[in-house]
Amino acid sequence: MHTNNCEPTLTDSQVLRFCKTGYLPLIGVVPDDVNQRCVEWMDEHAPHIEPGDFANHEPSEILDEDWFVDGVILNPAAAGTVRSLLGKNFALPYQMASHRVHMPAQAYGWHRDGGSQSSHELNYLQVYYYPQDTTVEMGATAFLPGSHLYWPFGQSSAGLYGMFRGSVSSAAPAGSIFVTAYSVWHRRMKSTDSGIRNLLKYNYWRTSPPARDWIQETNFDPATASYGPGQDAVQAPRQQFLAVARMFFWLCGRDDYQALGGQGWPMASTSTVRPYGYPGDPTDPRARQHTS
Amino acid sequence: MDGQCQAVIDSCIQQFRAGTLDEEKLRNALDWLTVNGTGHQDLLYLQAGSAAVSSQVVGMFTVEDGEIDEGPPDPDDWPYQSVLDALKDGWRIIKFPELALLLDDTKLHGPGVEFILERRR
Repeated sequence: MHTNNCEPTLTDSQVLRFCKTGYLPLIGVVPDDVNQRCVEWMDEHAPHIEPGDFANHEPSEILDEDWFVDGVILNPAAAGTVRSLLGKNFALPYQMASHRVHMPAQAYGWHRDGGSQSSHELNYLQVYYYPQDTTVEMGATAFLPGSHLYWPFGQSSAGLYGMFRGSVSSAAPAGSIFVTAYSVWHRRMKSTDSGIRNLLKYNYWRTSPPARDWIQETNFDPATASYGPGQDAVQAPRQQFLAVARMFFWLCGRDDYQALGGQGWPMASTSTVRPYGYPGDPTDPRARQHTS
Repeated sequence: MDGQCQAVIDSCIQQFRAGTLDEEKLRNALDWLTVNGTGHQDLLYLQAGSAAVSSQVVGMFTVEDGEIDEGPPDPDDWPYQSVLDALKDGWRIIKFPELALLLDDTKLHGPGVEFILERRR
């Protein structure tokens, strides 16, 4: 197993945002020369496909290319994000999936990929890399924010759904990387452009226990932070507050509290009174001992 | 019942009242209704915020005249903003959300609160 132990780059607020949405965009972080080289490499190695078709193949040999590993897999912004979410010595991808489309092509149904394990625990990530400018007209992948926390969604449900309020397009310039919770709902959108669209997907895994060892913000207070799903969620049930808080605290290394219920923490509050039921600083071992 | 079916029935009633309705006309009307009144089944899938028909629609797609249509990308442009809007437009619910599957409030069911409606053309 190949691992990496770079420095984390995310802050408390960014980690919490990931817990809410299930994805983080890193826009244009891969250098242009790497993007160009990747497109050329894919043109040489990908199977031929006719207009309207797409190919799901696994060109894992690209992981043997140093320029790709250094520029994409260990890209500082991407690896720093992965390090923040998966902790020290995270495991590197050993398998590559290519979702190459010869546009124009129809949309693909909403789904979560096979192998998803629905949980507040975050032990692996799925990453999407666009080596070329990818527009809405090119059928950029859409994500459904917050859906990584939904109750398990069988593969048999793929294609049952159409448009969703709150879904977001990942249309982005070349070199953009989207770090996602593996189970977040996603789909390829309909493309009306022509030519080839490339998308590479790969995974990272956790090898060490979760800990709040990302960049801590001095003005971030876990007691009063907003665990609500925000305006970009499909729905905003109060249970989403509990699920987001549980995921954030699990990432901090805490999975040992019982929410008070009702209006208590982690529900949204405009009161100046410190919320009842707050289980204590997630990095404070005394709080951990107190609630266990 | 759509407008054309209603018109056929109304015509039969008028002929009956006028004493001009005979067996042949009645069979013709029945034949028309058999062909046109139960033809294509259009489907409307609406995912809603709750099992109440008045709740906001959060997802949609349709099967109309044998064609799948996901609707406009912008939710503000969707034809129905609630299940109730669709009912007012002649759609009939053929599947309600299964409440037994939604009883566990500790689970986030996402868009699992789904109504399926039909309309025949």
